[in-house]
Amino acid sequence: MKLPDDNGHFGEYGGRYISETLMPAVIELEKFYKKIRNDKEFIKDFKYYLKNYVGRPSPLYFAERLSKIYNAEIYLKREDLNHTGAHKINNTIGQALLALRMGKKRIIAETGAGQHGVATATVCALFDLDCEVFMGKKDVERQKQNVFRMELLGAKVNSVEAGSQTLKDAMNEAIRDWITNIQTTYYMIGTVAGPHPYPLIVRDFQSVIGKEVLKQLKKLPDILIACVGGGSNAIGLFYPFLKYDGIKIYAVEAGGYGIETGMHAASITGGKPGVLHGNKTYLLQDEFGRIKDAHSIAAGLDYPGIGPEHSYFADEKRIIFDSVTDEEAVKAFQELCKLEGIIPALESSHAIAYLEKIKQEIKGKTVVINLSGRGDKDMHTISEYLSAAQPGKVKSGAEAGHN
Amino acid sequence: MRNERNFKHNNNKIDAVFNKLKEEKRKAFIPFISIGDPDIETSFDIAKTLAETGADIIELGFPFSDPMADGKVIQRSYERALKNKISMENAFNFIKRLKAFKDVPVVLFTYYNPVFVMGEKFAEGAEEAGVESVLVVDLPPEESGEFTKYIEDRNIYQIFLLAPTTDKDRMRLVLSYAKGFAYYVSVTGVTGARKNLPETVKSNVTEIKKITDLPIGVGFGISSKEQAKDIAKYSDAVIIGSRIIQFIEDNINDKELILKKIAEFSKDIRSVL
Repeated sequence: MKLPDDNGHFGEYGGRYISETLMPAVIELEKFYKKIRNDKEFIKDFKYYLKNYVGRPSPLYFAERLSKIYNAEIYLKREDLNHTGAHKINNTIGQALLALRMGKKRIIAETGAGQHGVATATVCALFDLDCEVFMGKKDVERQKQNVFRMELLGAKVNSVEAGSQTLKDAMNEAIRDWITNIQTTYYMIGTVAGPHPYPLIVRDFQSVIGKEVLKQLKKLPDILIACVGGGSNAIGLFYPFLKYDGIKIYAVEAGGYGIETGMHAASITGGKPGVLHGNKTYLLQDEFGRIKDAHSIAAGLDYPGIGPEHSYFADEKRIIFDSVTDEEAVKAFQELCKLEGIIPALESSHAIAYLEKIKQEIKGKTVVINLSGRGDKDMHTISEYLSAAQPGKVKSGAEAGHN
Repeated sequence: MRNERNFKHNNNKIDAVFNKLKEEKRKAFIPFISIGDPDIETSFDIAKTLAETGADIIELGFPFSDPMADGKVIQRSYERALKNKISMENAFNFIKRLKAFKDVPVVLFTYYNPVFVMGEKFAEGAEEAGVESVLVVDLPPEESGEFTKYIEDRNIYQIFLLAPTTDKDRMRLVLSYAKGFAYYVSVTGVTGARKNLPETVKSNVTEIKKITDLPIGVGFGISSKEQAKDIAKYSDAVIIGSRIIQFIEDNINDKELILKKIAEFSKDIRSVL
């Protein structure tokens, strides 16, 4: 079975749920991408920039001390070592090259934590493209450093005041801009979601992660683990391995304060199918089909939906979805800092935290975890969280974080 | 071709309205408001006012949390309405009451998710409320199979959009699904009043008329009597939303004034169509 099918469906998920003004543009994008997808020159350019600009291949690091503790063979795929500090750049390099070939000179993007925004601003500087990033007002306030980074890189950051003022509203606003400027503008979506062909395009560009692991590990792993918000780092690692039935694949959603509290970002564990932002997929929503606000300590997972391919593989039970809470993620964050000298992104910390949940199962097994990003951006959040949990103890750290 | 479906049901009131207007050589005025803005009773009184002052069809927006195709005025309208926790059940009751007051056909405008989660229950409720047509803005013909199946045999029309970006081949495709009337989006953009409309409106509407016998309504951006008059020369219906909702926003604490302003505007538009 071909996934997605010719109409962009992953089983019942995916598709193109967008207003008529956008339909011709996504159909054009699909036709263009189909042509270029296997174009030797295009692939050569993509590989060139991944190697020389991003710094790929990223290492597959055998985590010695972590392995000893869990009595397993644990590898970390070091996407945190990429230029700009996360896997997001793989996708923006690919889409920028695509936009250039389409003759589009203006790029727009949505961002939550700012990682995709920074990765977009970066490639726009590199390729001399105009760049506007939409970011919810709340996220602009929470992620001042990334806003500044984007501005340094020459992007215009638009603060979105509508709705809940977070990632979903930033995406709404980006779509509105796209509807308005469709002739000149390329919409650079940051995850494996949106109308077809975006989930396919982003999967193609991110699956470099899994392809490298296949080469680097020199054997098949038993278990793969990745965190999942929209799901681009997870698909990137999982995709080349899906065909190997024996490999167990875990996608870890953001459990926030706990699924039972309703304050989480676990679309599959705690949501149900619906339609938003151009695709049918699992969503956090109320009984009337209105979209609920997501919650996670990791801003990059703080989205009430997930890529449609994940929804499909969740139903098929090929990918096992589970969640860890903010608290568990922070604990894993601290553990990795001290054990391996690696400060992971809070998003990636969710994947690390899952080791504890399946510690019986992983004994003696080979496990690959996607360390999708580094934690520099999270210093402020972490220090605030820890000072709230242990008043007095790390308070000075929290104050330092404010400056 | 699927065009035969356009003629299968001939007892939908949308058709009756356009047939009658054709005889009278008039054009349809289709105002848009959100159900529940600023509150359910005031929005009901606004709908009654519009029905009394010249609306031939009323387009009623079901408030949604993520209105991606709408500009700021309708976004804020939905935000006000959402505070009143309007459910689809409320919307159906609203329509039932409106029809008891005056038998004006409605277009229920919605985003897909609130409809999708209801499954066939949406179509059952809409039929019972007497809804003539539904416009699901983020549901293009390619994805509307399941929804169409539910409403088709209940004599509810699905209204489809055509945009300035829609080329001729795609116009044919969309029109093969269209019933009641085709809704031409006048601008490349979201909803909201504009001072000037692009010159492509006339040429595109003329193009569409070569392909279909369905009436063509024009909406998005229309805000003045002059624009309405001009567009009515070559189309069959003028759809106005944001300009009307602006009257609500500008006079939010004075219900009587909202109704008075909207009545004046409605009569004014009606007089030139």
